[in-house]
Amino acid sequence: MSNPDELLRIEGIRKTFPGVVALDGVDFDLRRGEVHVLLGENGAGKSTLIKMLSGAYHPDEGRVLVDGEEVHIRGAQDAERLGIATIYQEFNLVPDLTVAENIFLGRQPRRLGMIDRKRMEADAEVLLRRVGVNVSPRARVRELGIARLQMVEIAKALSLNARVLIMDEPTAVLTSEEVEKLFAIVRTLREDGVGIVFITHHLEEIAALGDRVTVIRDGKSVGQVPATTPEDELVRLMVGRSIEQQYPREVPEQGAALLTVEGLTRDGVFHDVTFEVHAGEVVGIAGLVGAGRTEVVRAVFGADPYDEGAVKVSGAAVKRHDVNAAMAAGIGLVPEDRKGQGLVLDASVEENLGLVTMRTATRAGLVDLRGQHAAAERIAGQLGVRMAGLGQHVRTLSGGNQQKVVIGKWLLADTRVLILDEPTRGIDVGAKVEIYQLINELTAAGAAVLMISSDLPEVLGMSDRVLVMAQGRIAGELARGEATQDAVMALAVSTPTTETEASRGH
Amino acid sequence: MATDTLKSRAGAGGATGGLRRLLLDNGALTALIVLVIALSALSGDFLTTDNLLNVGVQAAVTAVLAFGVTFVIVSAGIDLSVGSVAALSATVLAWSATSHGVPVALAVVLSVATGIVAGLVNGFLTAYGKLPPFIATLAMLSVARGLSLVISEGSPIPFPGSVSHLGDTLGGWLPVPVLVMVVMGLIAAFVLGRTYIGRSMYAIGGNEEAARLSGLRVKRQKLAIYAFSGLFAAVAGIVLAARLSSAQPQAADGYELDAIAAVVIGGASLAGGTGKASGTLIGALILAVLRNGLNLLNVSAFWQQVVIGVVIALAVLLDTLRRKAGATPVAAGAGGNKAKQAGTYALAAVVTVALVGATSFLHGGGSSSATPKMGLSLSTLNNPFFVQIRSGAQAEAKRLGVDLTVTDAQNDASQQANQLQNFTSSNLGAIIVNPVDSDAASNSVKAADKARIPVIAVDRGVNKAAVDALVASDNVKGGELAARTIAEKLGGTGKIVILQGQAGTSAARERAAGFAAGLKAYPGIQVVAQQPADFDRTKGLDVMSNLLQAHPDVQGVIAANDEMALGAIKALGAKAGKSVQVVGFDGTPDGLKAVQGGTLYASVAQQPSQLGRIAVDNALKALQGKKVEETVKVPVKVVTQQNVAGFSG
Repeated sequence: MSNPDELLRIEGIRKTFPGVVALDGVDFDLRRGEVHVLLGENGAGKSTLIKMLSGAYHPDEGRVLVDGEEVHIRGAQDAERLGIATIYQEFNLVPDLTVAENIFLGRQPRRLGMIDRKRMEADAEVLLRRVGVNVSPRARVRELGIARLQMVEIAKALSLNARVLIMDEPTAVLTSEEVEKLFAIVRTLREDGVGIVFITHHLEEIAALGDRVTVIRDGKSVGQVPATTPEDELVRLMVGRSIEQQYPREVPEQGAALLTVEGLTRDGVFHDVTFEVHAGEVVGIAGLVGAGRTEVVRAVFGADPYDEGAVKVSGAAVKRHDVNAAMAAGIGLVPEDRKGQGLVLDASVEENLGLVTMRTATRAGLVDLRGQHAAAERIAGQLGVRMAGLGQHVRTLSGGNQQKVVIGKWLLADTRVLILDEPTRGIDVGAKVEIYQLINELTAAGAAVLMISSDLPEVLGMSDRVLVMAQGRIAGELARGEATQDAVMALAVSTPTTETEASRGH
Repeated sequence: MATDTLKSRAGAGGATGGLRRLLLDNGALTALIVLVIALSALSGDFLTTDNLLNVGVQAAVTAVLAFGVTFVIVSAGIDLSVGSVAALSATVLAWSATSHGVPVALAVVLSVATGIVAGLVNGFLTAYGKLPPFIATLAMLSVARGLSLVISEGSPIPFPGSVSHLGDTLGGWLPVPVLVMVVMGLIAAFVLGRTYIGRSMYAIGGNEEAARLSGLRVKRQKLAIYAFSGLFAAVAGIVLAARLSSAQPQAADGYELDAIAAVVIGGASLAGGTGKASGTLIGALILAVLRNGLNLLNVSAFWQQVVIGVVIALAVLLDTLRRKAGATPVAAGAGGNKAKQAGTYALAAVVTVALVGATSFLHGGGSSSATPKMGLSLSTLNNPFFVQIRSGAQAEAKRLGVDLTVTDAQNDASQQANQLQNFTSSNLGAIIVNPVDSDAASNSVKAADKARIPVIAVDRGVNKAAVDALVASDNVKGGELAARTIAEKLGGTGKIVILQGQAGTSAARERAAGFAAGLKAYPGIQVVAQQPADFDRTKGLDVMSNLLQAHPDVQGVIAANDEMALGAIKALGAKAGKSVQVVGFDGTPDGLKAVQGGTLYASVAQQPSQLGRIAVDNALKALQGKKVEETVKVPVKVVTQQNVAGFSG
């Protein structure tokens, strides 16, 4: 045993799935009291690696050592016994149980065969205080926001006396304020001697939080570097080449207003939202999670109703709450929840690409399958979707390629106003740039793009104009030149209405 | 679309590779082939053209229903109403054409429209009413069944002759139901694979929200999807009724579960998004092959149900394993894949061995050619009366050295038709039938007559077809006896209720007629209520409890069988035999015990084991070419506490 501080060591792990080599020689180690960042593009093998540690998969070759001894992790129980806890992007919480019940799920303290509620809640309280979250152990998990859910997950991990905490993209769904809180907790845990495996796509978080970085590319660990390594170097390691420009926005000449939204209001959700998007323009919508951004664009697209106001495309009014009317007017929506709303996961790439155009490709009830196939082939090639073939199920594509498919189906339908809701969430750097290029091509061809993003650098880097929403209203509009992180954040936390409403804000 | 998996992929060189791929890609097909091989090895009668066509006919109704259900399941719904809708559509056809003289073509349109409307209602409740499809179609299951009973007034209606040809054969050998099955299957495959609505089913089933946000009009599509299911159910109902030449209000009861099983065996997921017409056809064939084979092998009726359940589970298990093993067909260096494939093969082997072992173990035994062979198809074995017929028949068969195969039609006329067909095609010496319905059995009996196999009817007659003998007790006479017994016990005045048998059965009708005739002589007896309790003890208890709420002062109960009488006695509690007199019918062991105990005043006893015994006697006579009486009446008698000691079934 070389290092007494070493908690975990992985040597030469190899894992194949039928037809795919997921991991091919990965080395990794974790010490007591450090944050070790696992960096890599989507599909590089990060998820497979952590699933080995949580017992979901078993390696074909290589060794896993805990405290210097070789172990075989064959299930969640084994992982738990070894003190390894994992917090996945999709939380494993039961919505209708209380916080305390979730923390101690399956291990509730018992007295005379009955659950000792008092003790369970007291214990939960201690854990929740340790992660610094102010939530009642008796609250139902369903009622909690996403940031608090994550804290409950962390509390649950702590209740297992986890010495190794694996966090899979914990910041992807958090606002910057919540990210700061999370970092504070992670730092406390680190001081307590917990070893943390941290997966993120946000390079700036590495320097802020990490100690060491292991980069995985194509199933191999390609390097271990200190967290102070410059971002450019990290990107180069990750994608195997350097990326010239992270936000390659090219602003074309702008045309007439394509999308006009006037005084859009849904009581209690968003109020008096008015804006325009011109041909050739990218308008970004920034704001905190819960500011009503997604709700507005869904209403514009007709997926949800609104109470007042109007949506117009090229001056012609679009019928309210009618997806087909919006589509006929040339509006397309790439939804926030890619898997839940954007894709039919167990259908093929071809079928997903043809979903929007299926109707127009139908003659006398029959779908022109050959035409659909040709169109799918063309667009998949144009977008550079990396796949085994058009018949591959989209579930098995990486996040970036899945997103290309969602965008692709709208491109096939000659969409003139494309709404992108968090278009690059959970997507690696390389694929992000490809999607930005796509936005450039779209606007160059005269389309209008409306983009929601919680990733501030992305909004600033790609938008020609930034709308900032706060509490269901447009808090302000910033031109490309004047939009800075500080200016956007100032508007995002502002209270665009009366004082009484403001007091409810936080 | 349906043929997609049939294409051998790159690298699967040669015909054997293609075949291997095909089998690996389709676990259900493998299971079907395993079954066919096993059954051919076990029974010489299985692999004949006649019998295979039989299997086709027997699969047809389930398959057509299942094609409709495939649409719904692919779109992540469920349709429990198809069996009832099939019965309703057939009833509408027969009722309009036969009872009201509507031109047959118009009646067919009406019938199909009925199915579509029922489907539209399902779709409307699901899409616009936001009811879970399970609930919406469960409601329709009840409504459609009820309506078909209302329209038909509980009795089967003869099917118009021209439509009944759908149950015949074409050119003397090709059964029309098989043709209908193939045509509907092709339509289903075409709809699923090529049409907008079909492709929408996969999208909606895969991810409804994504489909909606991609511009699919999900609600409207759902209407159409359930309407399709209703349409297919109507076609299935017409085929079913045509086979029996009669529209039965109770037809296709429970078929929805067979249809769902067929779809799932065929590889569809109840979670939606997957499923194919070809798979569904294979699923339906597996069920039919299994029933047919178990009949031929003379497996006990009770064990048949166990075996069918086990095979359904194994077939789906095999398919699940196969999918896990062959998820990605790239062959390169996939060691784990091979191990899993081996697992699949091992499971298939276990299934085969288990099936062969079980069937030969359960196989009724000696089949040397010298002993005469007979088949007995009972309407149900879920009732002690018929179980006694069986034991009487089996005891007599043993005594006479006859090889007797007994099957249980589970009160389903069409299943009985299948069983009789199986008897005929395996060339038995004689057939004894206890018809589920006297009209519905006629076609099958005609077929047996044609094959020169003597047919003996037991307990209930067969209409419109020649049987060599009818061995029965006199139900009408028994009904009169029951009425007289209660009236005299009550001294000629009093209030009574009547618990009727299952609507649509001849025993229920005849006994009810007997009750009415017998009560005519006693004007002082007032019948305050008549309600069906389906020959069932639990229902007898429930119905009687309800009636007691309305008529607490009732003094007598006539039940059309002992089971219902025993249920009524439970409901009456301490009153039974004291302030309320109960008369039952059949003289089953439980009934006789109650007579002895005094809670049941009397039972009009048939002698079921005598029925079975005499039927086998007559069948053997007919088989040997001896003359038999056209009707053999087995006497009924009223058993009361005085004479119960000396009576045994």
